[in-house]
Amino acid sequence: MTRILLNSRLDECLGAWRSAGFSVFAPVKRAELTRFDEVQKAAEMSLDIVMPERTIKDHFFLQTEPLIKYTITKQQIDTEEMVPPERKRVFFGVRPCDASGLDIDDPLFGWDYKDDYWFKRRDNSVIVTIACAKADDFCMCTSVGLAPDTAKGSDLMLHPLKDGRGWLVVPHTDRGKALLEPVAGMLQEEAAETAPVPSIPAKFDLERVTAWLASPESFESPLWREVSQRCIGCGSCTFLCPTCHCFDIQDEGDTYSGIRRKNWDSCSFAMFTMHTSGHNPRNTQSTRWRQRIMHKFNYYRGKFGVNSCSGCGRCTRQCPVDMGITETLQEISNLPK
Amino acid sequence: MGLQEQYRKEAAELLSSGEVKLVIGYGEGTTADRRRPVFVRSAELVSRLVLDASGVANLSAYLVPEGLLSDGKKVAVFLKPDGVRSINILAAEAQLDPGQVVILGFDIEGGQPTPLPGRKASDYAPLIESLKGSGLSPELQAEADRLEQMGAAERFEYWKEQFSKCIKCYACRQVCPMCYCRRCIVDVNQPQWINTSSHTLGNFEWNIIRAFHLAGRCVACGGCDRSCPVNIPLRLINHRMAKEALDTFGHYAGESADQKPVLATFRQDDPETFIL
Ligand code: SF4
Ligand code: SF4
Ligand code: SF4
Ligand code: SF4
Repeated sequence: MTRILLNSRLDECLGAWRSAGFSVFAPVKRAELTRFDEVQKAAEMSLDIVMPERTIKDHFFLQTEPLIKYTITKQQIDTEEMVPPERKRVFFGVRPCDASGLDIDDPLFGWDYKDDYWFKRRDNSVIVTIACAKADDFCMCTSVGLAPDTAKGSDLMLHPLKDGRGWLVVPHTDRGKALLEPVAGMLQEEAAETAPVPSIPAKFDLERVTAWLASPESFESPLWREVSQRCIGCGSCTFLCPTCHCFDIQDEGDTYSGIRRKNWDSCSFAMFTMHTSGHNPRNTQSTRWRQRIMHKFNYYRGKFGVNSCSGCGRCTRQCPVDMGITETLQEISNLPK
Repeated sequence: MGLQEQYRKEAAELLSSGEVKLVIGYGEGTTADRRRPVFVRSAELVSRLVLDASGVANLSAYLVPEGLLSDGKKVAVFLKPDGVRSINILAAEAQLDPGQVVILGFDIEGGQPTPLPGRKASDYAPLIESLKGSGLSPELQAEADRLEQMGAAERFEYWKEQFSKCIKCYACRQVCPMCYCRRCIVDVNQPQWINTSSHTLGNFEWNIIRAFHLAGRCVACGGCDRSCPVNIPLRLINHRMAKEALDTFGHYAGESADQKPVLATFRQDDPETFIL
């Protein structure tokens, strides 16, 4: 026997979680944009999409994060740390690639220093993932060793039932199990059949790609220029990526008081590596594109043993010039041996 | 022979005769309805060029960055009338020599690309003149009217909601042929004039700055609007600024290579209706 959650009882569950002190976030379409936002009712959710345009990363690693308030007087400098509130949140209807993105980034934010801004939010959030029932031409989780029903990064997995009545419920962590307590009475025991997982053929051979990237002569390959000629150097692919995590620290205010903030940054921007002297070690888009690929599939992997990509495909889906990560990896994978 | 075949042939001739060093056109994209910019440097590769109704991007934006034209050689590029207007503005603002640009002109009518014979930007003067008074598409006009009819407070709320979505990815700027500044004002950091933060205030700052810098220069190619990953209707801002430039100063951006930039020139008889 397995436990299932019916669509018709979802509102009750949301109510129970809210009574237990959680805020519930789910994919919604608001102001022409699909993204995670707080919801009160199941009817507000957009669960029938391949994935929201924005990732859940936005709610853990903020686009702009206030760090400290400062005031400077003749005598002293006063600072006040601005730590995020420890708010209990449920993220409902997450995609497996987005949940995996959180798991991929955990070692980065906890490596030599434990980043409170990330972990205070991580530790107080429960990730309820719905396995994918459909995919599009850009999805590539299977190419990076994941799957449309992978539980990586998820506390609770929901597998859609074949008859569309609801989901099979499978907890994967203690946090996931605990989230089921307030809703235990709303689930039912039933042997139900789950819908087939979409089949997504691999787009490239990841092992070939990573082996090529790791070889020192690849750094100066003419491939970088060829694949990146049309890249316009925007931040779209990095900012929509569930795993990109680069930031810049900025003081905002005047000479005497203000706020120090942590703002997203992107290796696609020419400014990213600009030195004060005006010298820029990555002075062409192709060198910047090389960094993007190398970081994801060589350096990050070297340091943390995992690729910095969960295969969501947003970088290609949303690229203004139809570029993105996938094509480059395909080109590398297809290079003659 | 369809237009695609005709332009492949012409591109091959231009490349093999050495008249141009490069042809910038559209190629197959990831999916059937997508076209991507392609760069063809040899006659053998012209079969990569695709021309159909999905070729909507204004490719003139590729002519200025990374010193493409600094060797004095010519480049051929697939352009619609909006792209030709961009060439005129870039020439008027001394960013390129229009003599270095060979135009493979086309427009899209009834879901088909139709040829435009001009190979030089100046050949397009009568066509551009005839477009000057042309209205918006019915859908865009309806959106524009809806905004005009809002009260100031309601319109402010509308833009606040839209701009709060902005992630400062700068795709709108990067894709725009008119945003060629080597260092955009938002990237100037000694001092940092504009906050880099993408909170609502910072997003207002950015989007208003860009709107002003594009006023009387935007050719309504729609590149920024299509590129915005968070679906901010940037077309509505551009349209409003273009309308202002046309109504107030009779300025239609990109009419000719010697048109004076509207916000950088002063005439004694300029209307001063905007001075309170
Ligand atoms: S690949 Fe596309 S989205 Fe990424 S920086 Fe280049 S143009 Fe922008
Ligand atoms: S690199 Fe692209 S496919 Fe991979 S996680 Fe980032 S946005 Fe998704
Ligand atoms: S790919 Fe670029 S933006 Fe993304 S994490 Fe790596 S260096 Fe940062
Ligand atoms: S493209 Fe859209 S999200 Fe990106 S900077 Fe421009 S307005 Fe903002």
